[in-house]
Formats: sequence, structure tokens, C-alpha cells
Amino acid sequence: MKSYHDIVGDGGSRVLEQVAGQRARITDALAGVRHLVAVGSGKGGVGKSTLTLHLAGALRARGLRVAILDADFNGPSQARMAGVEGALFVPPPSRDKVALPRTSNGIAVFSMGSIVPESEALEFESAAQGEAHTWRATREFALLGEILASFEWGALDFLLFDLPPGAERTVQYADYLGPRTSFLLVTIPSEVARGVVARSVAALSKGPHRILGYVENMSGYYCRDCNAIKPLFVSSDQPPPGLRRSAEASAKALPVALGEIPCLGSVPFDPELARHCDHGIVPAQRSETPVGLALDQIALRLLERLP
Amino acid sequence: MKFLCVPCDSPMKLQSVGPPDRGSLSVVYSCPECGYEMAMLTNAYETQIVQSLGVRIGPETSGDATRTGCPFSGMIPATEGSRTSEPFPVRWTPAAEARLANIPEFVRPMARTGIERFARERGTLEIDEKILDAAREFFGM
Repeated sequence: MKSYHDIVGDGGSRVLEQVAGQRARITDALAGVRHLVAVGSGKGGVGKSTLTLHLAGALRARGLRVAILDADFNGPSQARMAGVEGALFVPPPSRDKVALPRTSNGIAVFSMGSIVPESEALEFESAAQGEAHTWRATREFALLGEILASFEWGALDFLLFDLPPGAERTVQYADYLGPRTSFLLVTIPSEVARGVVARSVAALSKGPHRILGYVENMSGYYCRDCNAIKPLFVSSDQPPPGLRRSAEASAKALPVALGEIPCLGSVPFDPELARHCDHGIVPAQRSETPVGLALDQIALRLLERLP
Repeated sequence: MKFLCVPCDSPMKLQSVGPPDRGSLSVVYSCPECGYEMAMLTNAYETQIVQSLGVRIGPETSGDATRTGCPFSGMIPATEGSRTSEPFPVRWTPAAEARLANIPEFVRPMARTGIERFARERGTLEIDEKILDAAREFFGM
């Protein structure tokens, strides 16, 4: 009797063929993108989305062509922060790809926040009543594939993926996006956050993906009145304000997996920048504040780490 | 999944897929050698898991099956504008309607509402290709 592998094709349902077709469409759609970089963490609330947007801005200020795909479909924030919440998707004249909305400084952005109002949750039609835990993740990845294949990414230097929180989600996205995608991880100066991010590093290290490094976000806050960085998180390893932590103490404070990847920089929290994010105001050019300079340095180090 | 006619040792071919019935699909296979037919009746979870891959379930058709029968239809709730009944509804010409089909189905309800708003703001109640081109130009696309 024939076995599964003796039979060519699947009798006509073409399920595997369709999945392969989807992957081919994605490969084709991303052919003009030089660097795919996923900004993840594992930990929620560390400022992945804010950092993604402002890193995109820093890269754009260096004259690079950048797009953002907000892959957090259930909690999209890029649409609001990038000022494309009410963006219009206009049908192209033929079967061309659909053009993406752009920020005022020319960054193309796809975010479900442009499609689903904040008062609504993302819903999928389901043949199975309830039991969404059995199929929801699969459907979200199929949606990601549809977005990658259907929109016009064009010729880009960077496509930044703003990943949802969760160490397991980070690994699932790595698996889906494939080895072309490099990872940049975001943490905050809290032992809890570093521990979770270290788990993501450990999990990603098992695969073929390149981890470019990590960024320590909310590393103090920038007080515009005093033009100084003040502490935001104080841990047992952190020295008093004004003193620098020795390299030895810094290394000791990091979980092992996080200590094995380079730190691309630290970004202080800037209340003014947070206000801009809430109102969708994207800076037209590089800010000369400590935050702007830190972001520019991270962009530079990121470029140095990429081929 | 593949089906084998054991007496003929021959792979069975998908013949038809019945319309969904409370989440279940009736998928009919037949043996090309002896003509024996059997139906696979999926339960709702099986239907949902396969549909979640973003594929179309059914026998081979001409054309690119991956671009038909978008599995995301109905995913995005209708936006506020399309829910309310406007006193003077906007009319879409067949050519403009055909162009709307060029964008992913999950974006269409939002795109339709936005373009209708764009047209109303310009004092027109008919959406033709000129209005679509004007919108593309206006939004720098």
C-alpha cells in the first residue's frame, strides 16, 4: 500500500501549495528591502513601539528609506504615534501593491491601528465558536503574511517590525520571518525586565537569527528644565545619581544571556517625546537633546552591526 | 491530508466541497480508478484550523487561488461611517468598484468608508476612477 510520501500532490485541496504560494509572494514583496530588523523584547511595557518609531526616525534622518510594520495586531500603537491613524488606503489602478501611509518625515507605516478604531478589538470570523486559543496565533501569522504580500514595501534600507510582547511570541515571529530577519531587543533598567529579555535572547540564540544587540530604554529621564538625566529606576546594583557604574558592576548586573550580546545604547525617557507620541507628532529632523543624540548613536551602531 | 483508495492503491481526488454547515465542511473525494466516493466531514475546529492558514479550501480552479476567497473577510468590523445610513448615499461606478477589489479584503471596509468621506468632502456623491486618482494624489501615493 502506498504511503503518504509515495503520493504526489494532495488530491486537489492544494493546501500546502497555497501556503508555499503565500511564502513566495512574501519573498517577492520583500525583495527590495535591504535589512529586516525585528524590534522585540519579550517583556511588555518597555517602550518597543516608541523606540521603533524613533529609531526609524533616526535612520530616516541619515537619509535611509525606512518602513515600520506594527506586528502587534492586538495592541497596535504605531498608527497613533506615527500620525497615520486616519490614513486612507486607496485602491491602486491595477493589481499593483497597495501604497502605505507615510509619516510627515517619509516613513511608511502599516499598523492595524489605521484600520481598527481604538474603541474596537481585532476580531476574526470563526467556524469554531470559542476555542480561539487553538487557532488564533495561526490566523494572526496568516494575516501578517497577507500584509507583507499585499502592501507596497518597495525599495527600502530598513523594514522594522514592531513585535508584540511575550518571549514565546518573539520566537514565533523569528520562526515566521526567517533567517533574513535580525533582532534588536529592548529592555529597561529593571532586573525583572532584564531577566525576561534574557530569556528571549536565550530562546532566539537557539535559532539561525542574528541578534544585533539590545537597547536599554527608560535609562533615567530627561528633565528639560535642568537639561539633565535623572534616575528613573533604582536597583540594588545601581550607583547613586551622578556616579557611573563600573563596567564590572554593569556586567555583573546583567543576566548571562543579555551580557553575551552588545548593548547598542541607552535611551532616557523624555516626557515631551511621550507627549508627541500620544499626539502623533513625528520630529521632522534629528533632535539635539540627549534623547535624540542617544537614538542617533543607536542608529549608527545598528548600521555598523549590519553587513 | 491525502486519501488513498486501499483496494486500488490509488490516491483519491478532491471532487467538491459543500457549503459550510455550522462550521462543518463536506469534502468529497473519489477514486479515479474505481469511482468509489467518500466524504470527509470536518468538525468546526478542523475547519477553523485549516482556514487559519489563510488558504482557500476547495477543488483546483483556474487562476491564482491564493488571491481568491480572502480568509480575512469579515475580520475587520465595519467602521462607523459605513454603519450609519447617510441621507444621500454615495454611488460607486463599476470601474471604481472593480478597483476596490485590488486591495486586501480586510482593508476594504475601511478604504470604502474613507474614500466615500473624501468624495463627500469634495461635494460629489459618485466615486469613479477620477476620484480614486485624486485621492491617491492627495495622499501622496
